[in-house]
Amino acid sequence: MATETEVLPATRVYRRRLSTGWWTRKRNYFLYVVREFTSLPLALWLLWFLWEVQRAKLGTYHPPASTAFVIFSVIVLVFALYHSITFLSLAGSILHFRVLDRPVPSRLVVLAQFAIWAVASAVIAAVLIGFGTYT
Amino acid sequence: MTRSWPSIPHLFFWFMFAQGGVLAAILIPVHVLVQGILGPLGIVPVADRRYGTWISLLGNPLVKLYIVVLIGFCFLHFAHRLRYLLVDLGIKAAKSVPAQAIFYGGAVVVTLAAIYIVLTTAPLSF
Repeated sequence: MATETEVLPATRVYRRRLSTGWWTRKRNYFLYVVREFTSLPLALWLLWFLWEVQRAKLGTYHPPASTAFVIFSVIVLVFALYHSITFLSLAGSILHFRVLDRPVPSRLVVLAQFAIWAVASAVIAAVLIGFGTYT
Repeated sequence: MTRSWPSIPHLFFWFMFAQGGVLAAILIPVHVLVQGILGPLGIVPVADRRYGTWISLLGNPLVKLYIVVLIGFCFLHFAHRLRYLLVDLGIKAAKSVPAQAIFYGGAVVVTLAAIYIVLTTAPLSF
């Protein structure tokens, strides 16, 4: 039986080491890493967007029209949709509301998020296209 | 017994991260679709296809505010996600203070650049 005067061995914490390719072993791990990676193409596209705003102050403004830019945007759109679907779907697990002392079903919360997404997209598209037709 | 209070900085950063994720999810796809695909392909007329309409839109103060909010929140979100992606991939240096300074500092720099750009690009018009 250990007494107070005995010197106990120092506690060591077990740390499980993950191999660098852990995320390729299971589909869920891979999709998780892809979900986190979506930030990079979105950030690059937003930097381009900011550059477009900056270029507007130059007198010689030419909008992008190359095939490469459209392909880049299509790739970014795939990542953007993946981010939107996964992030907004999480809302049902994260957000908890009570209405009339009853919890709002998580499916309803997710549906509301997707409805907000649809309305916001319609408004922004209307502004961008509406100003495009305005002379 | 001491009463525990929520960490305000922790609360603040989680709020910024979550809002950035929501804004990126709700706002970015339509910009990419309209300005990155439909506009360049000539399927729909888009404001940024002509100098006159683009500068007119950018002169609106609400649009200027919108751009700064979009860039600021989204880049803080991206910085946090990408830093933790590197941690998950086994790059321990991504946890360090210099890495935090680079990622979050980078997000702040881009936000400040966005503020400067929207303030200097187009004169205010209502």
